[in-house]
Amino acid sequence: MGSAEILQVKDTSLEHLRKVHGDDAETLIADARYGFISGLMRDVLRKPAVEKETATDKIDRIILNRWLGIPIFLLILYGVFQFTFVVSGPLINWINQGLDWLAAQVSGISPAWLSSLVSDGIIGGVGAVLSFVPVIFLLYIALSILEDTGYLSRAAFVMDRLMHRIGLHGRSFVTLMLGFGCTVPAVMSSRTIENPRDRLVTILVTPLMSCGAKLPVYALLAAAFFTAYQGLVVFSMYAIGVILAILLAWLFRKKLVSGESGHFVMELPPYRLPTVVTVLAHMWERGWAFLSRAGTLIFGAVVLIWMLNYFDVLEHIGRAVAPIFSTAGFGQWESAVALVFGVLAKEAVVGAFGTLLAGAGASGGIGNAIAAQLGWTPLVAFAFMTMILLYIPCVAALGTIKKETGSWKWTIFTISYTLVLGWVVATLIYQIGSLFF
Amino acid sequence: MSKKEITIALAGNPNSGKTTVFNNLTGARQHVGNWPGVTVEKKEGTCNYKGRRIRVVDLPGVYSLTAYSLDEVIARDYVVDEKPDVVVDVVDASNLERNCYLTVQFLEMKAPLVIALNMMDVAESRGYQIDTEGLSNLLGSPVVPMIAAKNQGTDKLLETIISVAEGDIAVSGISIQYGHDVEAELAKMEEAVSGSPLAKGYSPRWLGIKLLEDDREIIEKIKKA
Repeated sequence: MGSAEILQVKDTSLEHLRKVHGDDAETLIADARYGFISGLMRDVLRKPAVEKETATDKIDRIILNRWLGIPIFLLILYGVFQFTFVVSGPLINWINQGLDWLAAQVSGISPAWLSSLVSDGIIGGVGAVLSFVPVIFLLYIALSILEDTGYLSRAAFVMDRLMHRIGLHGRSFVTLMLGFGCTVPAVMSSRTIENPRDRLVTILVTPLMSCGAKLPVYALLAAAFFTAYQGLVVFSMYAIGVILAILLAWLFRKKLVSGESGHFVMELPPYRLPTVVTVLAHMWERGWAFLSRAGTLIFGAVVLIWMLNYFDVLEHIGRAVAPIFSTAGFGQWESAVALVFGVLAKEAVVGAFGTLLAGAGASGGIGNAIAAQLGWTPLVAFAFMTMILLYIPCVAALGTIKKETGSWKWTIFTISYTLVLGWVVATLIYQIGSLFF
Repeated sequence: MSKKEITIALAGNPNSGKTTVFNNLTGARQHVGNWPGVTVEKKEGTCNYKGRRIRVVDLPGVYSLTAYSLDEVIARDYVVDEKPDVVVDVVDASNLERNCYLTVQFLEMKAPLVIALNMMDVAESRGYQIDTEGLSNLLGSPVVPMIAAKNQGTDKLLETIISVAEGDIAVSGISIQYGHDVEAELAKMEEAVSGSPLAKGYSPRWLGIKLLEDDREIIEKIKKA
């Protein structure tokens, strides 16, 4: 029998079953399986008459409470950033002191161009990125703990009801949460979403999450412009990312890929005390990517920036792009160059400022150099941070989006909408903020 | 008969302790690659036991074997296409009923199944009593009780894997009955696919079930055959 006839037989059978039972054969088959299993359980499994309330049940009564759930989630998230910044502060200072020492050692070497390449380019650029290693690793420790204890699944469960209202469900939120680490594995994790439309929309909005590589940029600017409120300002970036991701998911689900969304049970694995080894292993897995990128991609980008700058090419490129961003307050050519290189990897923004601004290398002085040489106010810094949060995903993320959606169309769509969104939000913040400050 | 290398596929629900079982079996002898054509991580490891070399392929953790998610398609394609000597299904004993949904679908595929009944300690602490021998009889497949977190039961699992791979334990499997009406249509489907080239690699009954489930992957394969 040929393919067409086989499928013909299938359609006749399905039609017949639907008529007789009023249900899809798929449902009938699943029911038969459940029936078999429930019979099997009666034979082989004895449960106590009254199930003991486990520790997991007790904790879940509070964490999953319909009123407390979301506030607890926000509190935990806020705690994560406070922890990350308080603990990493002194570590970053030590690294910066080490870099200053290193810069002093090479300042005398000749020829002058080599000294400039090493101190402005490599130490100022790559070193600046590396000085944020403690922030990144601490964030990854915190994320690993949240994931390994089973809290991340709870967060998704708590958000499930809200997500249903926008036409998605909690599992999409797990993907978004993983986006706090890195967009690449987060986009890959969307495979667990069965409905293809839900999956596509989730992939499209995942780049709006604050990934680990955006954190150095926030940390740099928050320290320089918002000394007393660093944790709060950085937390607000994460919150803006989540809120915009949810809003846009709702919009895309309505306008771009409408249709029914999938239903399934949200998994709630029991709470487990993560072992130190697992948490450190997860931290290392994620952190290593950051370290090795600093040594390869960022190093390459920084050397390229230094060279283009040395031969006065960069300023022309920067000046050509910069006017677009003047509505948002960061229309200087240096900022434009940083944004262009940020598409390679978001940390490169820090590296670019470190290389381009004179004297930035000293004592982690990039932030001060930005204020002094580019004339930024805290408002501009905040607008720039939202731009970094929202605009074009890095090339690695774009590659993954292309692979997972299998479509250039959606990849190009992601590039375009994130760029427009970043520009609009940064401009709005700057323009409206200028009325008050 | 004695084969020098045995290939096993490690399957199970997420959170069933599958990764711990994988680590217990392979130790440091692991490497990570990608499943062909997709960016899903594929972990493999080896284990030497009683003169045999056992290759362990870690399948993605899944709840079911439909065509709805990439992970599920990868897991079932591996079992169908690569025909591992043994499929080890790691089952969370404290969540037996839900975990069995996957087990049943491996049985439908006529996979040479060994059930690793993991987290026995958690099940016991909740006061569950599981008749493992009865479970084994009713599913027609060997059942090995384990506590992977404490590395208990690994040797017994390896012994069982070798016995199944070398034919010393027969895995009889079971056939689920889907009710009179579905069975009648299933019989028609089985006959329809029996002549298709696909029937060489897949059991006709399984193909029939998948077609009745309107499984888009299998429909594509039928079209291409």
